Amino acid sequence: MSLFNSLDVSASGMAAQRARAEVLVENLANADTTRTAEGGPYRRKDVVFESSATASPFSSVFQSAIDGQATGVQVSQIVTDSSAPVMRYMPGHPDADKDGFVAFPHVNPAEDMVDLMGASRGYGANVAAMSAIKDMIQRSIDLFR
Amino acid sequence: MLDGVGVNSLEQYMTLLADRQKLVAANIANADTPGFKTKDIDFQTEFTNALQGTQPNVTEVQGLVVKNDGNNVSLDREARLLAENALRFNIASNLLRGQIHTLRMAIEGGGGSSA
Repeated sequence: MSLFNSLDVSASGMAAQRARAEVLVENLANADTTRTAEGGPYRRKDVVFESSATASPFSSVFQSAIDGQATGVQVSQIVTDSSAPVMRYMPGHPDADKDGFVAFPHVNPAEDMVDLMGASRGYGANVAAMSAIKDMIQRSIDLFR
Repeated sequence: MLDGVGVNSLEQYMTLLADRQKLVAANIANADTPGFKTKDIDFQTEFTNALQGTQPNVTEVQGLVVKNDGNNVSLDREARLLAENALRFNIASNLLRGQIHTLRMAIEGGGGSSA
């Protein structure tokens, strides 16, 4: 069952990279959000990746030595940035404090864009791996023809 | 008949390639996981062992550049191995299919002239 299990590993990588991209896009979209439900400006979020076993109940019967070693990946937590917001002097802004400063999120769009490229590249690499494994499974099936 | 022509070796070869491909997939999935170390098997050694029925031994690859977060996965290395494993599997499956084809010919070939 090793090859089908490998698909799970690649799928976990795709899911993790997608989650990362979603959080990055959220940061970018809220780069100038000064008002949130919790009060104050938007706070940037970051995903934390963690290696994890891809346990499939079906495959447990066919466990091999490799299965414990080849781990997938998962998002273990989403960390909210707690650093001080960026204060900009905008006296006319509705959210300005008494001194005329507005608290803006501590989001650097350039940094998030570069990270987004990394997420996209990682996703693509997992797709390539899955495609190669799928091809191997297909070749095994073709042995019966 | 199938035992004598290396079918068992081919089967072990393909099983080991599938195992290695799984490790490559895991390395790629963990390309951005902090602290993750690239894992691989020594293919030649493990293939010899597999022919004697031993389970493969997974090791951490040495000599790779470690990034700031402790991760040492090189996507280029994994891409190369991904392609190499797929091609090797391709060859082995073609060879095995040839063996099965030969056997099938032996079974079906004499069907017309049984009288």
